[in-house]
Amino acid sequence: MLKILTCFKWVLDEADIKVDAGSRKLIFDRAGHKISAYDRNAVEEAMNLQQQHGASVAAVTVAPPTAKNCLKDVLSRGPEKAYFINDQSFADLEPAQTGDLLAAAIRGKIEFDLIICGEGSSDLYTQQVGPILAENLGISCAAFVNKVTYVEAENRIIVDRKLDDGIETVSLPLPALITVLPDINTPRIPSLKQVLGAAKKPVDNITLDKLGEIPKPRLQTTGILAATMERRRLKFGAKPEDIGALINALLKDGVIA
Amino acid sequence: MQFELTEEQELVKANMREFCEKYVEPVANEIDYEARFPAENIRRLAEQDMLGIPYPEEYGGAGSDYLTYVMTVEELARACAATGFLVETNTSLVCFSLYKYGSEDQKKKYLAPLCKGDALGAFALGERGLAGDAATTTAVSDGDGYVLNGVKTFVMNAPVAGIFVVFADVAKSGGAGGPSAFIVSADTPGLEVGKPLDKMGARGAPSSEVVLKDCRIPKENLLGQEGQGAVIAGASLDSGRIGIAALALGIAQAALEESVRHSKERVQFGQAICNFQAIQWMIANMGTEIEVCRYLTYYAAWCYDQGLPYSEEAAIAKLMASETAVHQSDRAVQIHGGIGTVKGQKVERLYRDAKITQIHGGTPEFTKMIIADCVLG
Amino acid sequence: MDFELSEKQKKIRETAAKFVKDELEPIAAELDRTKDREMLLATLKKLAGLGFMGIAIDPEYGGTGAETVSFSLVMTEIGRACASTAVTTSVTNMVAEVIQTVGTEELRRKYIPRLCSGEYAAGGFVLTEAVAGSDPASMRTSAVLEGDHWVLNGQKIFISSAEFAGVFVVWAVSDKEARKGRGISAFLVEPSFPGFRVGLAEKKLGQLASPTNEVIFDNCRVPKENLLGVCNDGFRIAASELAGGRIGIGSMALGIGLSAIDFAANYAKERMECGRRIADREGIRSVIAENCARLKGARLMLLRAASLKDQKKFYAREASMAKVYATETANRACHDAMQIVGDYGYTLGCPTERYYRDARVTEIYEGTSEIQRLIIARELLR
Repeated sequence: MLKILTCFKWVLDEADIKVDAGSRKLIFDRAGHKISAYDRNAVEEAMNLQQQHGASVAAVTVAPPTAKNCLKDVLSRGPEKAYFINDQSFADLEPAQTGDLLAAAIRGKIEFDLIICGEGSSDLYTQQVGPILAENLGISCAAFVNKVTYVEAENRIIVDRKLDDGIETVSLPLPALITVLPDINTPRIPSLKQVLGAAKKPVDNITLDKLGEIPKPRLQTTGILAATMERRRLKFGAKPEDIGALINALLKDGVIA
Repeated sequence: MQFELTEEQELVKANMREFCEKYVEPVANEIDYEARFPAENIRRLAEQDMLGIPYPEEYGGAGSDYLTYVMTVEELARACAATGFLVETNTSLVCFSLYKYGSEDQKKKYLAPLCKGDALGAFALGERGLAGDAATTTAVSDGDGYVLNGVKTFVMNAPVAGIFVVFADVAKSGGAGGPSAFIVSADTPGLEVGKPLDKMGARGAPSSEVVLKDCRIPKENLLGQEGQGAVIAGASLDSGRIGIAALALGIAQAALEESVRHSKERVQFGQAICNFQAIQWMIANMGTEIEVCRYLTYYAAWCYDQGLPYSEEAAIAKLMASETAVHQSDRAVQIHGGIGTVKGQKVERLYRDAKITQIHGGTPEFTKMIIADCVLG
Repeated sequence: MDFELSEKQKKIRETAAKFVKDELEPIAAELDRTKDREMLLATLKKLAGLGFMGIAIDPEYGGTGAETVSFSLVMTEIGRACASTAVTTSVTNMVAEVIQTVGTEELRRKYIPRLCSGEYAAGGFVLTEAVAGSDPASMRTSAVLEGDHWVLNGQKIFISSAEFAGVFVVWAVSDKEARKGRGISAFLVEPSFPGFRVGLAEKKLGQLASPTNEVIFDNCRVPKENLLGVCNDGFRIAASELAGGRIGIGSMALGIGLSAIDFAANYAKERMECGRRIADREGIRSVIAENCARLKGARLMLLRAASLKDQKKFYAREASMAKVYATETANRACHDAMQIVGDYGYTLGCPTERYYRDARVTEIYEGTSEIQRLIIARELLR
């Protein structure tokens, strides 16, 4: 039976984030949390494969202990169990750290054929954790997937990758990791019974002491400010002499060099 | 003493909100204009286990609690009061009466399809002459069954219902007699559902007359005992009041959100109207009254779940929440100004939908008497 | 969601209710009529003995170690009998709390036990001035650091318990150059400090046993250790304490409203007119029912605000909602109660006239209903 692991991240709900008009600082104090939107697609795709091929599906996340509300949410979406890799220090991890921690928890300990991740998280959106994890585990990886077909007889998957220049179809032997795009499926809205059933599903608590050392961060965030959009309200005509004026304006603002 | 929802309740609320944004809100105006029954959303709600929330799984319900049910009704009504009414009538009135007073066979045969969404329920109680007491509709026993005759008015869900609970007076002969409740399938000969009424509000939840003309039902379809009709009606209406309070809350909450949004966007006299104190005070009053009614409603639901008496609490919740729905939707139209009276604006629909919450299930005049009876004896 | 009180909360409420029934109700009317100071002070002492002057205060400082929900329940019970006693108790609790929240360890150990034990009859909250009511940031009382003393100059008005409080929290402008509201500090002032004077008492409509006075600072010398909290942070301290005080006043007002309706309901059950009890008339029943429903809503809203505060969550919005709703509901209840009781209800022989007078100011002090609405609107419009 196909064994699928689906990774998800518990992120701030961007709809709740407010911006201080003066300083452009982000105000998080009343913000709730949710499963990152793209990870919902990942979980849903795992469940689609389960429905088609009878796979077993487990969800896995790296988070601080305070994020435990994420577990019933993800379990209500179908996975049979969840792995909760948690520690106080896991509040603001870099993608490389997350990728290393996931690998440490999975390698040799959790059996899998296919790992499904969202293409990126809805907070940092670095799109790196999936490929880093695949590299750490030494398995093949395809990112930006919007269609998956499991070929049971050959123990491989055939995926469509949506790239800027078109669709690329790739065949990967299992075990493999894919990151999926939001247009791959429409995540379910869990029914009431599915929500109530989540409490009965097992959760594996994986703490830092079982993983060895937490990898060191390599980035330093110096600040986070809300983006602004300033409307210059400059108009340029379409005559040849206007082109020069347009180029100068762009040079002046540093848009082009 | 703690006011927080459980993790499951938070999830259900969030899921319900997403469901409403995706499926209910987009058709809410259309079903209001056309008085169209939203069959597709009722089916989807059934798939979400939303039609029998507080009833056990063995009868097709979700095995959850009344508080969770109340929150989902609130979310539904925030998007579309009519859809909320369809669910509330089914779950709080019809399912409740079957669950509390039905035999095992009756529960399997009639409660299960209602909880699973295979049929919708309608509660045929009120009549032209009287409301609240079953009187002129009669049920005559012929040994193996009953023959029902009479006219029931303002039966919500009737045009789309598959299962009716009908209240009729049994003449005292061999049996106990008195007001009684009966389960009648829609396809029973002699049960005629009238044309849907052209209503002011909750237009997607059709209501009509139900005429019983020599409608014969087997004796197994007596719900509870002969003469128990008033008790069954009373208890069902009590639970229904909590449901209607939840509906009213959802309407009021939508009114507040529309008002906040509009007042931030609308510029008059060089600034957003939310900068004017008159508007700020209206919004403050709306928010405060809604919050108070929310806790009254949740408290009544909690009493139900704890097995505590809840008639007074349900009456209080219904009285206060329905009044707040009417007030807040009125204020919302006021804050919108002229545009608030134009079809297509949500507040125009909220204003019309709110009124029925003050009437259906017990008018304020009546609910105050229930409260006074509890307080004064 | 759980509306059940804990065993401890039930016990605290029962203790308060018993005290109120046995010792406060019998003297409440007389307290109001005579403004007997000794009687009030004796009552306050007994309340302190029961732990009601520091309900949510850490036992380490002599408090009861309960929480805001209990505080709300106790205030309602005391408010049922005597608003004057209740407001004094509420403010004293708030004073103890602000010292616990922002005071140094020395200040806490010095003053809080005296407030909780009843050694100090009460605490005073000295914020308001003639030019600074709803807008406390416009205050003019000044504080200038001279060596190891702050020297306070100015006049405060409408200060409850000024005539007998043992310690006062006083707000003054400590930095005149700072932007409005950013240069205010809080100080702990004892009445024995030189330059502190209690002025004229106001003649009021209600809550007559609780004196409300001018307080004058005439080169009042306050030791610099008595700066409460961080210098120039006073406005924020005041705002946060007022939020808690709203729960106290709202809870007290709820008590007044409940007593008024209880009285009216009992009266209606006895009073005969046109051959029937007036309690059997739908019109009267309807008014009683409406008020009971609203008072129930006020109770839940107050407990909701209290519960949020106890969880250290943001509660200012709910506290304002609770205060405005409970106080306006209480005033309506007093109005309707007097109407039900009729002429007799208007006379000094009947408690409804005292409830009516006592309830009125609850819509005004500790933040007028208008200010509460501004706070609520600001939160809703965020």
